[in-house]
Parts: sequence; structure tokens; C-alpha cells
Amino acid sequence: MENISKSVTKKDHESKVSGRALYVDDQVMDDMLFGRLLHSAKARARIVNIILPEVLEGYFIVDKNDVTGVNRVQIVLDDTPVYAEDIVEYVGEPILMVVGPEFKEVERILNEIVVVYEEQVPVLDMLKSDTVFFNYKYAKGDIENALKEADRVFIETFQTGYQEQAYLETQGIIAYPHDGRMTVRGSMQCPYYVKGAVSKALGYEDQGVQIISDATGGGFGGKEAFPSILACQTAVAAKKANKPVKVIFDRREDMEFTSKRHPSISTYKVAIKDNEITGIDIDVIFNSGAYTTLSSVVLQRGLICASGVYRIDNLRVTGRAVKTNTVPCGAYRGFGAPQTVFAVEMVMDHIAKEMGLDSLELKENYMVKQGDATSTSGKYHFHVPLPEMIQQIDELTDYRAKRKLYKNQTGRYRKGIGLSMFFHGCGFTGSGERDHIKAVAKIRKNADDTVDILVSNTDMGQGLKTTFSKIVADTLGISYDQVSYNNPDTDQVPDSGPTVASRSVMTVGELLKRASERLKKEWKTGAEQVIEEHFVEPDFIIPFNIDEFRGDAYPTYSWSVNAIEVEVDTLTATTKVLGAWGIYDVGVPIDTNIILGQMQGGFLQGIGYASMEQMDYNDQGKIRNNSLSDYSIPTAVDVPKLVTKIINNPYTHGPYGAKGAGELPLVGAAPAYVEAMENALGVNLNKAPFTTEDTMKALLGVLK
Amino acid sequence: MTKFMLNGQEVTSIAKANERLLDVLRNEFRITGVKCGCKEGECGACSVILDGRLVNSCMAAMGSIEGSAVITIEGYRETERFAVLDKAYASVSAVQCGFCIPGMILASECILVKNPDPTEADIRDGISGNLCRCTGYNAIVKAIGIAAKEGEGLW
Amino acid sequence: MVNSYQATSLKEALDFRAKEAVTPYAGGTDLMIKADENATYLFLNKVPEMKNIIEDAEYIRIGAACTFTDILESKLTPAILKEAVSHIAAPAIRNLGTVGGNICNGSPKADSALIFLATDSKLRLVSSRGERVIPITEFYLGRKKTALQADELLVEILMNRTGLSNYYYKKVGARNALAIARVSFAAILHLEDGKIVNCMTAFGAVSDVIIRRADIDGMLIGKTIAEAKAVKEDYLAAYDQAIVPIRGRISAEYRKAVCMNLLGDFLESNGI
Repeated sequence: MENISKSVTKKDHESKVSGRALYVDDQVMDDMLFGRLLHSAKARARIVNIILPEVLEGYFIVDKNDVTGVNRVQIVLDDTPVYAEDIVEYVGEPILMVVGPEFKEVERILNEIVVVYEEQVPVLDMLKSDTVFFNYKYAKGDIENALKEADRVFIETFQTGYQEQAYLETQGIIAYPHDGRMTVRGSMQCPYYVKGAVSKALGYEDQGVQIISDATGGGFGGKEAFPSILACQTAVAAKKANKPVKVIFDRREDMEFTSKRHPSISTYKVAIKDNEITGIDIDVIFNSGAYTTLSSVVLQRGLICASGVYRIDNLRVTGRAVKTNTVPCGAYRGFGAPQTVFAVEMVMDHIAKEMGLDSLELKENYMVKQGDATSTSGKYHFHVPLPEMIQQIDELTDYRAKRKLYKNQTGRYRKGIGLSMFFHGCGFTGSGERDHIKAVAKIRKNADDTVDILVSNTDMGQGLKTTFSKIVADTLGISYDQVSYNNPDTDQVPDSGPTVASRSVMTVGELLKRASERLKKEWKTGAEQVIEEHFVEPDFIIPFNIDEFRGDAYPTYSWSVNAIEVEVDTLTATTKVLGAWGIYDVGVPIDTNIILGQMQGGFLQGIGYASMEQMDYNDQGKIRNNSLSDYSIPTAVDVPKLVTKIINNPYTHGPYGAKGAGELPLVGAAPAYVEAMENALGVNLNKAPFTTEDTMKALLGVLK
Repeated sequence: MTKFMLNGQEVTSIAKANERLLDVLRNEFRITGVKCGCKEGECGACSVILDGRLVNSCMAAMGSIEGSAVITIEGYRETERFAVLDKAYASVSAVQCGFCIPGMILASECILVKNPDPTEADIRDGISGNLCRCTGYNAIVKAIGIAAKEGEGLW
Repeated sequence: MVNSYQATSLKEALDFRAKEAVTPYAGGTDLMIKADENATYLFLNKVPEMKNIIEDAEYIRIGAACTFTDILESKLTPAILKEAVSHIAAPAIRNLGTVGGNICNGSPKADSALIFLATDSKLRLVSSRGERVIPITEFYLGRKKTALQADELLVEILMNRTGLSNYYYKKVGARNALAIARVSFAAILHLEDGKIVNCMTAFGAVSDVIIRRADIDGMLIGKTIAEAKAVKEDYLAAYDQAIVPIRGRISAEYRKAVCMNLLGDFLESNGI
């Protein structure tokens, strides 16, 4: 491991461990008002009338009529209203905001408002949707021929459910008008996304809006686009009241009404000839919810990953993001990949069983290698470390032996072990980085020879304040303590792109490294110097055509193998995770403890996705699991044995050899868990989460 | 009106007896180190030490704490024990987004008071009511174990 | 307008309780979830007569305002109660929540109430008019409905001192901590000289109230293990009829299956 990997004390450790770090709800301002949204109680309805109570002086009702710009929130497309117009499309759609100086009075007014709805029939089931938001298709080779020539075609459908980010700090925004401008601060991943959205909603010029990211208590994608919506609503309210307005979601509000992981249904048709997989035809449906938000990009990534780590020469992938009258789904760590990776891993496992092979045996025959073509006819330009990771995990867990041992168990406790192998494409899909983001990074050397990092990426726990500082300090050859990275303020920093897609260290870190290299050459002690770097696409990339899904979707990939061992108590159908092991290739870790922390956190989220995290709607379109007591995320006693290891596989085009790390650890946990459950129960399974109740159904079916 | 000890000082709250200690600490006393994660006793972000015990301040009505002693991170961070935990947490980079951390630190204190040489199972049980979504808990558990070793004699 | 009372003695508490419609507040961990701004709370957490755990000739007497942590730390509380209480939520909740609140809340998911029912404990209910001691089996009248009168307080729980050591307990939740029971089961089988002198079982979280069928358990009382085995089928069949899980977020089929499995395992673990 490089020297840079040696762990240091994180830049934000002291402020956070002492309780001094200020998150948005900790901020107070003079004359500040509190705001609460009124959410639609109906999944689909026309608003006939809104009956407002008398409000005291100083209290305001804010709605679509108060939007001075465009009543739309800019998120890729612009169909999300800031405040609802005549039609509400999901339970939770914001209709208006009540604002005032006393929080209890704001709530009292809110509870007295009567909305008269003319209810319409909502579409809640994604299979019954009548609106396709996005429709994509790509292919390579000759799938039709493969299907025609096949000895048999193996067909199976897989389902994945919602996942709620459940960041510990709920969504929150403060907006305050001053000097003809609007400043918005809060919990967010992408200050410049918020800036664009707020400018549009207010009808302000670029310089009219300032966005500041406060200490952000977790994001995981849930604060990629959603804060833009809340920021527009709050800014409109602050403009009307001409005072600061603070809106903090309470937990139930956050769980019910903010963006989640897209549920999916994927059907795989696998052509088999002479006991070889000759082609795969994949059809994917993602439940977009009521508005488009990020569904196009989430679906794109899901489709690109749909054939997993396998070399499939004849491939067709079709996918649709469909509208339902449910809360709009958006970004969550993995961003479409967990859904299709689950499906492809499970289908390989089931085909293996049909062929009389163990799942690993079959998978090993199709794993890609360096030089192979990707699903989109790009190339795996770099070493693919799957064989050595599989070897490591087998040594750690005795996987192969246990798979055999656990077949055909009787007895009360039944063990199982499962394995998954997967990648995560590093960075923005296709040419988005080059054509849309066009990241700019700056560093400023001050007269006292300290250096400030000026980028717009937020540290939401993943350690950017530390890793960026390490890159700059090490490149410049100065002390880590001489480098600072403050919470991004769009008045102070350029747009280095959003904090998403596992791009921050790999892409922005690389820009900071180059800027530092230049500064080192041009260093003038005692002078203030600013160095700016612009993104340049690596030259080895095969250009990606988004219409055809052809080329290098990503410059490189991070790789992982997971193994999970379970024990099912057949009396109660509860499952104990005996061990969860993950081996990860994320290039060189800029800080070993930070990377291990990311792997552990992501892995546990993935295990939650596979098992206990269940969220569904009632027939009125209302989410039932709207509290932390009802939507279970893992506690410290649920997976005590969680082991993560990093291998050494430097990425030549990333700073110090680093590449994307943030999302990888969540992506493949679910199939490893569900495969383990199959091993324990002796049946094929095709859904995630696979819950206790599902386990009981399987047991009753098996034992009958 | 409730008289109680806050981080070693006697204070009087003008809040009604039904109000949550969490809200009173944050709003009346500007104690922002106590975080609100759920208001239902399900996450531990609002943990304080009440009369020597770890409790969720969102679950305590003011009327129930008359005469009691409350310790938050603002008071605890002045102690020698905190310094040991601080160093231990830093050494394994256990702090990610930080929102659960004040609660985790106070939970750590309560674990070590009860048992200065806890097993890993004791530690995990001691933080079982403090949810963390970022870390997967391993680093926090390790940190508390390190503090137990390094802080010999303090607990 | 006063919106709460803090009692420093039982007499004071009972006087407040008799005078006005107050909501008794011992630990607050149920009440504060949906905090009622307009409720008049009667804070009992500092009433000394409700915080003792003592032993007399017949009973272990547990004050209703004892927290779950008090239960765990006491040398006197029986193992079956400790085990159930140790599975409640998490340390911070156990440090505040009380057995009294757990019982009087009337929820069929209450973890300690299950144990008190399964051990045929008694409740000492006191008012300024006097006091009465009733079996806990007479306390639950329906979903969240108890026999506690408007001027009464639950002051003590009386548990038998002996006969509780051979127990079976299982709580089934969504995860290992901070979990509300989906099914819970507690059972005692007390043998003396090869004969079953007592059999008590209780099923929690499956119905409107905790299921306690002393009449069915009575089928095994007075029998040897071998004799009990002979009526095992009938015993299980009787419970199969008696346990009708109500519909909830977790399916009735799941809960029924778990109940019958645990009951069967309880019998088998005793050689029946």
C-alpha cells in the first residue's frame, strides 16, 4: 500500500466528536421563522379547494402562487412542481407551507387547513402503470439467433423492494433573503444542483443565489436531488416572508415523503446451448414514482450493469422507468446497480443448480477479464481482480466446502452460505462528466502558506475533508495541517460537480492533485496564489454514445466479492448472520480507515436491503413503514461479525491510484445473503428483501 | 418550571412539564450537541446521561426530571475520560457523518462505567440503542475497546 | 392551569389521582412517543413506595415504578423476568421504562407483562379508598383495556418466590435490538417428585390481549412426563384452536406457525 493510505486523524473528527459541529437544525438566525409543509393525503386527486383558517400577523401560507420564477424544480427534466398545482400525484406531494415565528402555532395552523380533494384512481402497481417515463434498449451480438439456436431458454423474474436511506440527520434547509439575494444552507450533497434549482424557482440570476452546505449528517444519495425540492420551497417562503425560514423534516415525514431506492422487476431469458450460456435477454422495470427526478440516470446504470461481471457476447437489455402514484424514487448508493446485480447473480445461481453445478463453478466460467468487452461494447481496460478475490474469500470463509456441507440439512437450525461477485462503474455514466458536469477545482495558497481547497463536494461522512486534504498536502509536500477544506459555499468555490456516482476522490481528487502539482512548481512563499484545474477525459476511453448505449460507460470499475453465512431457526424463521465477508478493490485507499469504514457501512446497508429493510404501501398509496420502529435498519448487535478487506490494485488514472469507492460495498450484498438463504432452505429464491415472513413461507412450503 | 442540574450547573427551565427534555435542551438552553433523529426513542441520537444512566432525552418529560442531573456532550467533553474516548475514536476514524456520535460517546461512557473491561458483546449491547447508518459499527466498537484498554484506572 | 403533578410519596400520588383525571407517568417511554400536549401527567418516577424490590415470606414484590434496569440489577428478580426484560429495546429505554407502565399500557406486545401473566403474578392496586390484590389474569379486559380504575395506581407486582426456575422464553422480533415483539412466548414447567405441579404458558403479540389459558395448561398438571406425553396431541390441538392471531402487519399464518412451533419445542425440551 502507498504511504498515502496511512490513516490520519480526520479533519472533522474534533468538531463532531465534541458535539460542536453545526448541522442545519443547530443554526439559528435572528427573526427566523419555522416552516412546515402540508403534504397531500391522496395518491391521486384534483385539488378542488383549500380552506385556510385565520392566521395571526407574522404567519404566512406559501403556495404555488408565491413562486416568482418557474414552479418547477430542476432535476434533469423539470416536471417536479415546487408546490402542487391542481393535481396531486402521490401521498406526500407538497401543497403548501405554513410559516411563522412559533413552531407550535405553525403546527396548529397546519392541522386546521382543510384540503378538499376530488379523488381519482391512483396507479400503485408498477405493472399496471400507463405511463412510461423512460424507455431504453441496447444490444450486442445476435441475441435472436442465440435464443433460436438454444437447447433451452431459462426464464426467471426477480423483484427488489424499496430501500430508505435512513440517514440519521433528516432533511433540513434554511433560506434567508438579504441584499436582494437569497442564501440557502442546509443538509445536502450537491450545492450547485440546489443553486440551479433555486435560481430557476425564484427567477433570479446566477449571482442572486448563494448555497452553503452545512455539516451533513449522512446522505447516501437521499440528499442528491431531494434538497433541491425543499430548497425551492423554503426559498419561495423566505422570499414571501422576507425573513429567514427554517424547515426541518421530522423522521416520519422524511421516511414517508422523500426519495427512495427504485423497486424493480427484472426478467432474464438465458439461452443455453450445449451446456453453455450463449446469450441473455433482459427486461427491467423500475418504479419511478410520480415524477421523473433521477429515474433516467438510475435506470441507465441499472441496465448497464444488468449482465453483471459476466462475459455475455449476445446480449439485449431493455428497460423502462414507469410512473406510479407513489413518492418519486431517486438516488441511493448503488443507483440502479443493486437491483440488476441482484437479479443477474441469482439467475446465474439458479442456472448453475439446473446444470448440477455449484453457483461459483458456473460463475467462474463467465467472469470477465482485462481486455474483454463490457455489456455496452466498451472495454475492461484494466486488471479484473475477481479470481484472487474469490480465492481470498474461500480461504477466509471455507465457502466451497460449506456450500456442499450445507445442502440437505434437517434439524432446527439450518446454515447456509452465499457468494456474490460484482462491480461498480466509477464516476458519472458515459460522457456526463465531460459534457454536463465539466468540473472545475481550485486551490488557493494564502499569504501565510496555508492552502484552502475550493471545490463544491460535500463531506457527508465519507471523509472528503480528509482525503482531499491528504491528496493536496502530500502532493505539495507540506503538512496535512496546513491544508483546509471548509464546507462548500457557492460564493467561494467553483462547481466541481455533485457528490455522487463515486466520483469525488477519483475525479475531483485527481483535479486537486494536478492543481497541487502545478502549485508546487509555481509556489511563491508569502504570496496568495490560486490554481484552477478543469476536467479532462482520460484518453483511453472509448467514447460513450448514450442513445445506443455503446462505448465505455465508465472509465474503470471497482470490484468486490462478498460471502455471507447465515443460520435459520426453523421454529421462528428468524435468521442470524453468522458472518459477512467482503473483499474490495477500490484502487489505492487515500486513507485506509476511511475506506474500511465506507466498506463496512455500505456492506451493512446492503445486508439490511437483503433482509430486514422492508417498505410497502397500503392500498391508499400511503407508506406503512414510516418510522424507525417499523422500518428496521441494522443495530450494533445484528451483524457482529462483519469483515472487510481491501486488495491492492492501483488505478493508473486516479489520484495516487484511487478509484470509486463509496457505492461499491452496498451493491452486491443482497445476492450473497439470498444465496445463503437458498443454501439453508434448499429452495430457489428470487426477491429482496427476503424477510422473516418470506422465510416462514418457504419453510412451510418445504416442510409440507 | 423545572430545576435540574445541567452539566454540573443548577438551572431552571421555564418549559411546561410535558415538554421533552430534548426540545428544552436544544431550544431553551442552546445545547446543540444533543441531536434529534426520530423523537420516538428509536435511534439514540438524543442520548444524555440522566442521574448516571443513558436515556433518550426525547422520551423524558420535564416533569420527570425535577432535581435530576443531566450530562450532555457539552459537559462530558471537559472530562479526562472524554479525552481517552476522543483519542480512541480518532485512531480508528470512527466518526463519519457525526450525527450519532455525541450519543455514541455518552453510551461509551455508560458502558465503561458499568464495566471497565467489557467484552465485544458487552460493547455492542451497550450501543444497541444508538443507530448508525454510516459506519457499520465496527470502528465504534473497536474505539470503545481501545478506550477501555488505554483508560485503565479511569473507569 | 397546572398541567402536571410530581408526586413525592404514594399518598400524594393517590390524592392527585383521586382528585383529577391524570395520566400516570412512570418512565414515559410509551407516553412520549405520541406526546399529548394537553395531558395532565402524574409523574411517579420519584415515589419511593413504588420503587422497591423486596422479598417477603410469599412473594417477590416489585415496585411498579421500577425500571427495567432496576429489574436486571436486582438480585431478587427471577431469571425468567430478567431474560425477557433484557430483550426490551435497548439500554436507554430500559433505563427509563418501567414494569408498571409496561403492564398498564395494556399492549399484548408488552414484554414484562407476558412474564407476569405466565407466572400467575398478582397486582397490588391502590387508591385513596383502599387497596386490592388481584391476579394479573383478571387485569386485562380487552385490547388496551385494563381493570385499573380511574383513581387507582398499580403500586406493586407480586411474583411467586418459588417454582419459576424451569422456564422457556422466546421473543421474536424484526432484529436483535430495538425490536417490538412479533411473537413472544413464555412458559414454566414446575416438577416435583416426577410430577408436574404447575404448567403455565402465555403468548404475546398475537392477539388483542396476551393469551393465557390456564384451563388448557391444566391438562398437564398432576401428570408425570410420560402421562403428559400421552395427552400431548390433545394439548397442542387445544392451543391450535385457542390461538387465533389477529390480522396485522405481520401475517397471522406466520405468527400462528411460530406459536405452535415454540409451544412444541417447550414440551420437547422437557421430554414431553
